[in-house]
Amino acid sequence: MKARSFRYLTGEGIKSAWANRLMSLASVGVLVACMVIIGLFILLYQNASRALGAVEKQNVVLAYMKDYTWALYGGEVEKAAEGGDENGILPDSYVIHNEDEALEYCKEIEKLDNVESVEYISPQDALERETQNMKDRGMYVDSILGEEYGNPYSGAAKVTMKGMDDFADTVEAIKKMDATDSVEAQSDLADSLFFIKRGLTTGAIWIFVILLIISFVVVSNTIRITMYSRKLEISIMKAVGATDAFVRIPFVIEGIFIGLLSAVISEGLLYFCYRVATETLLKKWPKVSIVSYADMALILFGIFVAIGLFAGVICSFFMIRKYLRREGSEFSAI
Amino acid sequence: MSPSSESDKPIIEFKGVSKTYPSGTHALEDVNIRIKRGEFAFVVGSSGAGKSTFMKLIMREEKANTGTIIVNGFDLTKMRRRKVPMLRRTMGVVFQDFRLIPKMNVFDNVAFAMHVLGTNANGRQIRKEVSNALAKVGLGDKARSMPNELSGGEQQRVGLARALVNSPDLIIADEPTGNVDPNMSYEIVSLLTEINKRGTTVLMVTHDHSLVRDFKHRVIMLDSGRIVADNAGGDEE
Repeated sequence: MKARSFRYLTGEGIKSAWANRLMSLASVGVLVACMVIIGLFILLYQNASRALGAVEKQNVVLAYMKDYTWALYGGEVEKAAEGGDENGILPDSYVIHNEDEALEYCKEIEKLDNVESVEYISPQDALERETQNMKDRGMYVDSILGEEYGNPYSGAAKVTMKGMDDFADTVEAIKKMDATDSVEAQSDLADSLFFIKRGLTTGAIWIFVILLIISFVVVSNTIRITMYSRKLEISIMKAVGATDAFVRIPFVIEGIFIGLLSAVISEGLLYFCYRVATETLLKKWPKVSIVSYADMALILFGIFVAIGLFAGVICSFFMIRKYLRREGSEFSAI
Repeated sequence: MSPSSESDKPIIEFKGVSKTYPSGTHALEDVNIRIKRGEFAFVVGSSGAGKSTFMKLIMREEKANTGTIIVNGFDLTKMRRRKVPMLRRTMGVVFQDFRLIPKMNVFDNVAFAMHVLGTNANGRQIRKEVSNALAKVGLGDKARSMPNELSGGEQQRVGLARALVNSPDLIIADEPTGNVDPNMSYEIVSLLTEINKRGTTVLMVTHDHSLVRDFKHRVIMLDSGRIVADNAGGDEE
């Protein structure tokens, strides 16, 4: 196509969008609404992913053992138990007696599918860490961690998971082991975030599809109205021998114009909404980690432009094609 | 092939053409006709006689069910849809309802027919061709007028200028005098006759018997989809 023709057709397309400005405005409005909602979902998804990522980094659980050391804590062990050892403790009350058994327990945990690594924390290590910790915080430790009382800590396995998908199942599997006394894990938070993320993904897909259909219907209707308002020109164009492509181009350009304008407005509007929302959120919870709009701006704009172009081009292309094939008559009275 | 034999070839040829619409209406039945280059022919007939279908088949807006149609060397029965614009570029169409774009002035209405072909013509060429076409129809001084400032006859002359601006071999006029007064009708047909004398073939549908009587051109009469009279070469068939 000649550059002169292209300029002429582009001008016609933009003039046409202006001539039908009310309908064009309605199309832009609906497209903007759809794009902003899609953009919000993308941002929510990104934030949920970030939060889940933060939890995933802490995907460490502590499995406390049924440890003989812990059974001795308190210093006053009843010796009355029949069949008990020299401290009166029944054999069933503890499973781990020494470091070898503790390491064996860690190896058993390591065999689970979702477990990446296991670190053994001995009762002595735990006691030293916690004593230091309490001292650092200026707490008085002698009342509970005094040597006369013994060691209140049982041995523990520090388990690092591979992923969050099977988090709950893995925790359950560890709990079922004989040597496990209890498991300390942030299962609830991980589960909630996981479900939020999955819900957002499913919701986003459905909303995306529904909004895309709505956009298509509205943009198609605008193009259709434009087409009927220009049927005189179309009939003349066809009668003098303009190709279908030539007839189609102004409408496609009108569609592109509507799509691009919507993308630009959506980007600005979403930036404004997100900024207000995040500023409000950060005022309340300053330590919350939020995805920066700047990091997402280009991706979002790309998505908006793609939606705008897709809706504009596809709608105008098919509407004019349908009109030219079935309804546009060159000869009959208009 | 010699130039003379080329000029003897008909610009329009119908061989055993029938057209039935999907609704079952038989619009044309076994039509056979040859219109030579440089001829002026009136197509007459009552409403429903098949005149519009005849014109639509020539423009390839409709396709014949049977038979062969050759227009300006194009075999319309075998022609693919995407080739139709090429056929139409060889003809100019004049409509009964003028079909001028109200928001464009006379000049732009005529230039529109050049713009939409996406040809190589630059602004200067377009101005020259449009001015020539307007001069041919006697509207050289009305180039800047808007359609609503013109009389019916003048509007139809603008339509004629638009049909002429791409220098077609064939002018198809669908009742061009249907919306103008009798005096103006004579002017329009006189103009078409002038154009025809310069070598352009003219095919004009009309209901106006006085025009047919006064302008001694070929008359093709249709009735119920059949050609019932044709005075080709001065002899009525």
